Parts: sequence; structure tokens; C-alpha cells
Amino acid sequence: MNNQEWKSMNDQDFEAALGNCFAELPPENIVEEITPWKKAMSRILIGMALRALTLNFLCLNYILPAIGVVLSILGYRALRRENKWFRGCYILTGILGANFFPWLILNTTIIPDAYLSPTVNMIPSLFSLLLTLMEFIFLRSALRAVKEKAGLPPKVGGATALIFWYLLLCVLALLEYNGFIIPFVMIVGYILIIRHLFRLSKELDEAGYSVQAAPVRIPDKALVITLVSVLFIGCLCGYLFGGSYPMNWTQVSDTEHSKVEAIKADLLALGFPEYVLNDLKAEDIAACDGALQVITGVDDHPMNNGREITTQLGSGENRYTQTYTVYDVKELRITGVGVKVPGEKDKWIIFHHFLWTTDPGFYGTESVQLWPAYKNHPEAYLPGSEVTGRVLCDMDGKTYCAEYYSLGEQTFTSGDIIYGEQTKTDVFATFSLPPGSEHQRGYVAYSTVINRDEYILDSWVNYTHQKNPLQYPVKTAMKHRMTNFWNESVAFKTVQDALQF
Amino acid sequence: MVEKEIIELLLQKDEKGIDALLQHYGPLMRYIMTPILPNPQDREDCLSEVTLRIWDKAELFNGQRGSWNAWLTAITRNTALNHKRNLSRHNSLEEIPENTPSSEPTPEDIMIQQERQAAIRRALQQLSERDQMLFYRKYYYLQSTAQIASELGMTERAVEGKLYRLKKRLRKILGGEAHE
Repeated sequence: MNNQEWKSMNDQDFEAALGNCFAELPPENIVEEITPWKKAMSRILIGMALRALTLNFLCLNYILPAIGVVLSILGYRALRRENKWFRGCYILTGILGANFFPWLILNTTIIPDAYLSPTVNMIPSLFSLLLTLMEFIFLRSALRAVKEKAGLPPKVGGATALIFWYLLLCVLALLEYNGFIIPFVMIVGYILIIRHLFRLSKELDEAGYSVQAAPVRIPDKALVITLVSVLFIGCLCGYLFGGSYPMNWTQVSDTEHSKVEAIKADLLALGFPEYVLNDLKAEDIAACDGALQVITGVDDHPMNNGREITTQLGSGENRYTQTYTVYDVKELRITGVGVKVPGEKDKWIIFHHFLWTTDPGFYGTESVQLWPAYKNHPEAYLPGSEVTGRVLCDMDGKTYCAEYYSLGEQTFTSGDIIYGEQTKTDVFATFSLPPGSEHQRGYVAYSTVINRDEYILDSWVNYTHQKNPLQYPVKTAMKHRMTNFWNESVAFKTVQDALQF
Repeated sequence: MVEKEIIELLLQKDEKGIDALLQHYGPLMRYIMTPILPNPQDREDCLSEVTLRIWDKAELFNGQRGSWNAWLTAITRNTALNHKRNLSRHNSLEEIPENTPSSEPTPEDIMIQQERQAAIRRALQQLSERDQMLFYRKYYYLQSTAQIASELGMTERAVEGKLYRLKKRLRKILGGEAHE
């Protein structure tokens, strides 16, 4: 038969020719894949396996469960008309998705970290546990129904084991079990259960021909593309607009310090740095009335990673290579000022002032952690007044100021291999800086009374800056500082400064 | 009961083989028959016919030519098509005039048919696995667009579009342009 004959064939004849071209058995891959059951059930089981995976790197602990939820929804969607149990599974995984995906977007903002309590943050996880448990119970009944319909013995041991496995997991989660042995046994058990379910699904391939796939209004591909697009746009918006605290910036009045000019003059005469003094609130300057002594310390700190320099030193057999880091730019100037004020006992007012000498680069969240003298040596120093302070910046030649987003004590639990888990309470000041501003600066201040004059006054601040948005889920600088004491992070950098005398 | 045991029972002409066959492969056979014979009664009649043919021809099954499932699929499909032809012939028997020429193919028709089959098989091999699946669903399993759409998680419109492009591609491979 030549090309001409195919060309001359009309549509009807061509259609007939296609319909009559089968002289041999259909190919094996076609025969294997033709059942409406196999694809749907494979999606459900792979989805279940992915949802249980927790690989804490490259965000796989979020990506794999997200793929798992989508696969489960698509799988159950195809089988939803088969029996009421599959329909139930479809609805449950739909709710699971509606619970899971908004949180994936919310995690690109500081909302869960900054505004929601740990208890509220736990609710979606607990809800997911409950939904998944119900899904497994429904799945067991669905598999039984399929077997019964096909006239096969309704044995679904794997699905029953899965329910008990999951119940045990819920109990361990509620007990906050931290051991290694039971989770290891649980992982092995889970692998065996999933394997068993895959085998059961294969056994059911024959019965699966009686399953009727449900028609869809939105194709699987379109559903997945829509979901991925919504997630992408949502996450992008989250990163762009949800990464900083709302701050109430107001222009600083020229007459702000008019009532404390005399005190300012005295402080300047004692050596108080003018650039720090100009940033203080009037009441903080007033607190220094009658100042007897001023002690100052200034340090410039790098917020960049610097550059490595390698040099060859020595000669002959004693020749060696030395590598060190050089910081060409030190972006953050931290100035510590101690002011001794009159009183029955010696009283010091301590100021820790920071100033960005260049653009901070990324405008996310910032935090200042204070280790006041009375915390470092509680037997020698007593707490005086509450911690105060504010942040300032210049925009269009004018100076603006704002209260910290939060300023006060925070109790947190942090843990590391060396010291173990510890609960601490520290003062934190949190804030965000406005993009397009200059000379971003601020301070924290407190007073302390000398109880025993045998220790040096030792006051510390830890300034944590968010360098870039490369983190998921998004953490604030304060939460990073609370949980990541050793400062190893792509997104954050902490510098320490102390005033000691 | 596993596939091997069922085949063994059928080869030994043990009636338990028929029961096992219907229990394990009944859903598959009904699945293949449904698009060809939409009437449930016709399907049940055809199922008996298929079972009988398998009983008679079980020794013709050759595992090297294809799997048991593929063989069952082919027997079921062909029996269902014959059943359908018989039904339509029976329904229109009174209308056929006596001088109607025979519809049996001539040797030349058979040769052309074989050439066409070979050409289409070669063309099919150039298609992706997904397109081949779509082709077999439509032209071998004779599934409706609605059924294909449901089972592939697509809309009917999308399936129609894909089938149109598939036919166009096949025409191109076979050497003819699409007949508009």
C-alpha cells in the first residue's frame, strides 16, 4: 500500500482502517495499564507513602507531603463514584489539602512565627493527624467493598495494620516521644504495611476492572497546574509582603529635646557620643539628670561574610599557609554607653545603640537580644528601670522614629548538643526597617543598681539581622536567635557586642 | 487462586477452572465487553460464549506470544464483536434482499488489509506510550470518549482534541495529509 492510497482515503475509511488493524494480541504494557483501578490506586499509595516522609533538608519535608496530598486527591477523585468509602476518602483528602496548602503559603510569611501562639500553630498538624486517621479507616472499608463486589474474600489486613500503626503514631506524637527505637520500628512497620498494600492493590487489579472511574470537569493536569500556580503566586506574595513587622513610623519633631537641652549639654561635656544622644527619647535623657560619669565603647561589626586571604608564612621546612577572613566593610556600628547617675546606691543607666553605616541589604526582621548586667551577675547588680528604646531612620532628609514592634522579656526553650535543652528568659527588641531609608539606627536602655562592688559591669547585646529571604518556613530574627544559638544560617547573622567596665 | 492454577484446571477440563476464571477474570471480561455491548443482558450472553471459547481453546494459549490477560482480552473482544455483528444481522435479517452480494472479503481484500495492518503497526511504534494507550483505548477496546476521559482524568473535549491530533499524526506518518 503506497502513500497515495493513504492520501486518497477519506476520514471514514481512515477511521475504519485504524479500527481493523489489530491482528495480534495487544501489547503487554497496554493490557497492564488499561484498568481504571491501577493508576488511581498507585497514586493513592504513593501519595500515602510521600505524606509520611519527613526528610528535613531542601524543604523535602514540605515538598514530598504536598505531592503526596495532590496524588491522593487525584487517586480518590477517580474512584469517588465506586463506593461511599472512596467518596469519603476523596472528601477527607480534599479537606486535608485545604488545611495543608494555605499553611504552605502562610509559612512564607512571619504570621505563624510572630503572631500565632505555638498552640495555634499545632492545630493544623493535629487536624491533619485526625483527617489522615479517618482516611485510613475509610480506605480499609473501601478496599473491603471492592473485594466483596468482586466476590473475593474481604481480607484487608494491611489496611487494618495501617490504622493501628497510625493510632500508635498519634499516641507517640501526643506523648512527645523523643526516643529512637520506637520510631525506627515504626518506619520499618510502615514500609512493610505500604508494601503489603501495594501487593493487595495488585491482587485487586483483576477486581479493579469492575471499578467505574468518575468523570471529571477539571482535568488532572489542569488541577495540578492551577494548584502549583496558586501555591507559587501565594508563596511569592508571602515572601514579598509578609516578611516584616508592621511599624508605625512618625517624623521626629525638632522640638523633641527642647526640655532636656541642659541635660544633653552636661552629657556631651562628660563625653556622651552626640550621635547616640540625638537618638534618645526625651525621657531617657531626663533619666540621666545629674550624670556623674559617662563611659563609652564603640565597635564596628561586619554583617557580610568577608573575603578569605591565604598567605604563605615562614620559610623552608617551617613554611606554612595561613588563611584568614578580611572584612572590607563593617556595616553595623554598636555603641555602648554607661551613665552613672546620683542615688543612695551607685546606679548606672546603660545604652546599647546600633547604627547601620551602609544599606542593610535585605529588609526583613531584626532583633536585639539584651543580656543586662543584672542577669549576668545577679548577685552584684540589681535591676533598675524597665528596658526602653526605639528605632530611627532617615528618609527624604527627614528623621523618622518608631517604637519597637515588641520590646520585653521572652521565655523560650533552646537546645544544643553541648548544653542540652534549656529554658531561658531574655529581653528582646524586635523591629523591621523601611526599605529606601538611610542611617537606620536604634537603641535599648535600662538602669541597674550596684549591690556588691566586686564584679565589672558587663552588659551584652546580640543583634540579629536577616540577610536574605532564603528560609522556609519563614522565621523572625528573634525566633532564629532563640532556636539557633550557634548562628549557622544562610538567612541570618548575629553579631555580639559588650559594654564592660 | 493464581493464574497458572486456573490455566492448568482449564487445560485439564476441570470445571473448577470455569468458576475460578469467572471469579478472577469476570470483571476484566465484562470491562472489555461493556463498550462493545452496552446492554447488560447481551453482555451476560456474550460472557457465556467467551467462557465456552476459552474452555474449548485454552490449549491454544501460548505464553510466549503474550500474557494470559492479553489473550483473554483478545478472545473477549473478538467474541463481543462477533456477538454484536450477529445481533445486528439478526435484527436486520428481514430487510436484506435475497440478491445482496456476499460480504465475505476477497483474497485481494485480505492482502490489502494485511498491508494496512502492518503499516499502521509500524506507525504506532513511532507514537509515545501515552498516545499508543489512547489509540488502543479508542480503536481496540472501543471505549467511548466519556469512558476514556473518566479513566484518564481528562475532559471529553480534551480527549477529542487529543484523538484528532493523534489521527492527524498517524496520517502524516503513514504518508497522507489530513483529509479536511
